[in-house]
Amino acid sequence: MSRLLQALLVSLSMVLSAAAAASQQEPQAPQVQVTPKVLAKGLHYPWSMAELPEGGWLVTERPGNLVYLNPQGQRMHIPLDLPDLYATAQAGLFEVLLTPDFEQSRELVLSYSCGTEQANNTCVVKAKLSPPNAAGYALSALQNIFTALPKKEGAAHFGARMTWLGDGSLLVALGDGFVYREQAQNLQNHLGKIVRIRRDGKVPEDNPFTHTQAPEVYSYGHRNVQGLVFDAERNKVWQHEHGPKGGDEINDIVKGGNYGWPMTTFGKDYTGALVSPYNDLPGVKAPLYQWTPSLAPAGLALYQGDLLVSHLAGKRLQRLRLVDGKWHLVAEYLVAQQQRLRAVMVAKDGRVLVLTDSTEGELWSLDLDIQQ
Amino acid sequence: MARIMIAFALAVIGAAIVATVIQTQFNLAALVALSVPIDLTVRMHAISHDLLHFGPIIALIFIPTFAIAFMVAYWLSVKLKVAERWWFILAGGVGLAVAFTLIDSLAPMPTLIAANRTLLGFILMSSCGAFGGWIFDRLWHPRPQELLEELP
Repeated sequence: MSRLLQALLVSLSMVLSAAAAASQQEPQAPQVQVTPKVLAKGLHYPWSMAELPEGGWLVTERPGNLVYLNPQGQRMHIPLDLPDLYATAQAGLFEVLLTPDFEQSRELVLSYSCGTEQANNTCVVKAKLSPPNAAGYALSALQNIFTALPKKEGAAHFGARMTWLGDGSLLVALGDGFVYREQAQNLQNHLGKIVRIRRDGKVPEDNPFTHTQAPEVYSYGHRNVQGLVFDAERNKVWQHEHGPKGGDEINDIVKGGNYGWPMTTFGKDYTGALVSPYNDLPGVKAPLYQWTPSLAPAGLALYQGDLLVSHLAGKRLQRLRLVDGKWHLVAEYLVAQQQRLRAVMVAKDGRVLVLTDSTEGELWSLDLDIQQ
Repeated sequence: MARIMIAFALAVIGAAIVATVIQTQFNLAALVALSVPIDLTVRMHAISHDLLHFGPIIALIFIPTFAIAFMVAYWLSVKLKVAERWWFILAGGVGLAVAFTLIDSLAPMPTLIAANRTLLGFILMSSCGAFGGWIFDRLWHPRPQELLEELP
């Protein structure tokens, strides 16, 4: 009994000293006020965007709309038939991503939540976009190329960001479904994983876990991935994911890597409880950057070798630079009319484009032309 | 009145401590199942952490829950004139089960408290309300024996 009491007292003092250390502020990055140029208004919970080679952008709206915005910001609805779309709370239509050879093939992929409240998960379809004509655009040849399994209950943590690797395969980031967090360590399903598939949905032979029931799995131990980008120059995949209360992470995704959730995390549960006593464990890939408290990153883009991260709760854009293998915050871009920022991309002409997250979402162009 | 307030506070604190320890064990059990090493020191550290950080949050849930549940229990015990203690125990347990269900239906996340993700966890966490009811009924008014002892 005395050993128990002793251990409890030592633990209490450790917890208190850890709390005191955590309260010490990290050095602040320079904050830059930017004035956005509003390119389009009236977007209903826009989630992602893709720039078309002929000009303008495709934008997904989470309730299930695919819209075309012309360079003047005028919107045009593109009919999209997803009979199994499940749209509520965090669920709905997510990312639109053009194929690497879009100019020739006109093919794109879309991620969305499919199923019902009791049985749903993330799906990916491939489709063909018509060339522009007087009637606008049309999608054809819709084909499911991936369905995350198992189907689970609830409308939380779908991940759904995607990126193409240099070999033409597709990475699809997924979530843990919130209440199934331990499944992120189970290699027999897709919860809390990043999967890699071919453009036709088939499994690449060199995937790391082809012997399992989920041969698409590329990396695991993720909570809710909200940013994914392939850095062709460095041949790296950068990713960010939401922690719970604290512990949002930037990771360097490698084939077969275990990113720890929920065995390791810098975050706590929303109730204040420990999810895990560990920030790090052997065999687990540690994050290259982490946000505590959480800013809820949503959207990731490469910009002049740096990473741009848009934030929902943080309502700002951050720029991070890779120094000695770690990402460091070098600037924060703030807008006077603070908005939740859902996505960021860099246009072909170098402009930084941002989608705001609301019932009246906007597409902004930001001028970051400030030497860092 | 002071006795009632103290009894209520002790019921909240006692139930919150038990609930905290239970939910910590559920979290750690899930990690152990993933082969995460959890020795006694780590377990004590987790309990200490949760007592400091989770305990106050769960206590905030218990306060309005117990306030309503205990008033209902008192009304039932007066009305039916039997088994006062059991009404408080039942009201605490049922009250907490209702409160957890209500919170999960209103909160943005599907399940606020991780231990409540399983039926066993939900039952055990709700039973902390019954424990709180027992503490309150045990303390809120003097027992006949105590009254006798106060006589000159």
